[in-house]
Amino acid sequence: MKSKWKQWKNFIQGSTGAVKLSMLVMGAGHIRYGAVTKGLIYLLMEVSMIVYFVTRGLSDIAGFFTLGTQKADAWSGVEGDNSIVMLIMGIFAWIVVAAFLYFYIQNVRGAYACQKRSQKGLPQIGVKQELASLLDQKFYVLVLALPVVGVCIFNILPIIFMILIAFTNYGGKIVPPELVDWVGLDNFKKLLVLSKFAPTFGKILSWNLLWAVLSTALNYFAGLGLALLLNKECVRGKAFWRAFPILAYAIPGFITLLAFKFMFSYGGPINQLIVSHGGTAFGFLDLDAKWSARIIGLLVNCWISVPSIMLLATGHLSNRDVTLYEAAKMDGAGRWKQFWKLTMPYMIFATTPVLLGQFIGNFNNFGIFYFLRGGLYMDGYFLASDTDLLINWLYNLSIDNNYYSIGAAISLIIFLITSTISLIVYVKSPSYREEDTFQ
Amino acid sequence: MRKKLDTAWTYGLLVIVAFIFFFPCLWLILASFSKSGSIYSFEGFFPKSYSLATFHKLFTDTKMYNYPRWFLNTLFVASGSCILGTFLTILTAYTMSRFQFKARKPMMKTTMVLGMFPSFMGMTAVYLLMTQFGLINHLWGLILIYAGGAPMGYLTQKGFFDTIPRAIDEAAKIDGATNLQIFLQINLPLAKPMIVYTALTSFTWPWSDFVLPKLLLKEKDLYTVAVGLMSLDETEFARFAAGSVFIALPIVILYFCLVKNMVDGIAQGAVKG
Repeated sequence: MKSKWKQWKNFIQGSTGAVKLSMLVMGAGHIRYGAVTKGLIYLLMEVSMIVYFVTRGLSDIAGFFTLGTQKADAWSGVEGDNSIVMLIMGIFAWIVVAAFLYFYIQNVRGAYACQKRSQKGLPQIGVKQELASLLDQKFYVLVLALPVVGVCIFNILPIIFMILIAFTNYGGKIVPPELVDWVGLDNFKKLLVLSKFAPTFGKILSWNLLWAVLSTALNYFAGLGLALLLNKECVRGKAFWRAFPILAYAIPGFITLLAFKFMFSYGGPINQLIVSHGGTAFGFLDLDAKWSARIIGLLVNCWISVPSIMLLATGHLSNRDVTLYEAAKMDGAGRWKQFWKLTMPYMIFATTPVLLGQFIGNFNNFGIFYFLRGGLYMDGYFLASDTDLLINWLYNLSIDNNYYSIGAAISLIIFLITSTISLIVYVKSPSYREEDTFQ
Repeated sequence: MRKKLDTAWTYGLLVIVAFIFFFPCLWLILASFSKSGSIYSFEGFFPKSYSLATFHKLFTDTKMYNYPRWFLNTLFVASGSCILGTFLTILTAYTMSRFQFKARKPMMKTTMVLGMFPSFMGMTAVYLLMTQFGLINHLWGLILIYAGGAPMGYLTQKGFFDTIPRAIDEAAKIDGATNLQIFLQINLPLAKPMIVYTALTSFTWPWSDFVLPKLLLKEKDLYTVAVGLMSLDETEFARFAAGSVFIALPIVILYFCLVKNMVDGIAQGAVKG
């Protein structure tokens, strides 16, 4: 902080009038010291910024705060404000302002650098040279430009939009042409307190946490067990045995899920078998089948995820330090002891990031219950069923029923939960603390 | 004696595991060859009689369910996002691995935080934005969204580039090569396995994704196979099975050909994560 202040002081004392002028008229410093083309580009930027601001920028930013004041009225022919478009244009205006500020600072810095170069008697760097450096020293700028733009438009912009939506009353009956308003934390309050949402939210959240823990543990140990089984010395034709899980891994998830839904449906083969043996058909995935549906979900998820964990664990197992195991054997450690004292600590260390990814993936596992049960609404739940995870509820609310702002608030809560857990794991886990224990 | 028992036990388990994984696949494959379409006419798990009629119907009876059209749509979206996405991802990973610049650390942290948001949140927003601007029902829109988001998953590829020794770069630099030349002529050829892996994953994702197409494609003729199969009626089980087998086959073959690359890719992502 202090050095920054010092730099600033040096700059104020050391810069000439032309450089100081470029704080007001962009590009002035550049032109004064001979970098005319660059100076003109900066000047053009400033002019176009002023034009943009006068023509739309200011009203866009105002619109960002008001979200529209004039309601459309078909009778009198008044074309009203579209709050959502205003919100988007407002975000866009803020981005333009941020970009402009960046170039503004670059302009002042550049002007000062030009002054220094000319004082030392060095020639100025031309635009051509600057462009040529994009292929060499500044290659990264050229290369990253496209991906960064893509990520900004298709990832960051939607996320910002959704975060903002969480603080409005957009959704339900309030969609354009109705006017949307900022409501602060109301949506979160509704979720936690209002009798319409709060009970559902509590039930779904607790099942969601239980599901994430159970399914991650089940998948992880089953995958690890399978890898250990395939890794045994007595197993011949490993590639053959491994082919079966890989087959399961390669089949697109939605096919697996739809197929299992058919398998457990009323007319499905399992019920046919039950009936032909004198039983009565059982609704595994029906409205009242709380735990049977949940358990089927767990097992089907296991079927889908175990192969990838097995492949991963196989890779890590072949990297183990074999001498450790021989030493343990000599000291008389049994197989269980070897597993718990050697294999497990090593595996947990090596796979913490994957385990974390699995946990978050399972926490947000949309497909499983969407396909297995899909869109059931139950008594005691608001637009959800007892197997739905938060992410399913989010879908039901915001896509099927237009509760956009509540949905956005749930997204933010999911983000808070997953990021907190990740952060704790990140700070506490041995693979981040003791990077070279096992290497 | 004990060892023999252990071996028998191991093989027993392996057979059970193989059965668990193979049986549903077998069930689906046999169902696709069934003579009658409905699941109710099956005897337990398997159809009573077999024929190729369902596959024939799948491709000719397109009035209600235009499978060939869906298949071409899927192929178009998947190939488009594969080419564009691989290109962007490899570029991002390479720069993140090789260049030290001021924005590098902040960018890595930002992508990590962004990854924490439920992917759905972005999709709802994309859906809202697209409907707002009337950009729904366009296949290229899907390609842009898939490819635009692809660089977010650059970590595996970065891990790979980290393992290519920098000494080669330095040597080339001394010989007067620019960074562009170093990338195109030295590192890109070395990264072939990683490019294959990236291309495969960015092809299979749109190939089997259903959420985004379901949100953005409302016209039946624009459906991808995933959305199309979901829209099938419950009595059309054989058609569903045939359609699934047909779309899963290329992916399964690809996976078995490239299983080595896949394993390496997964392992690298894990260690360097």
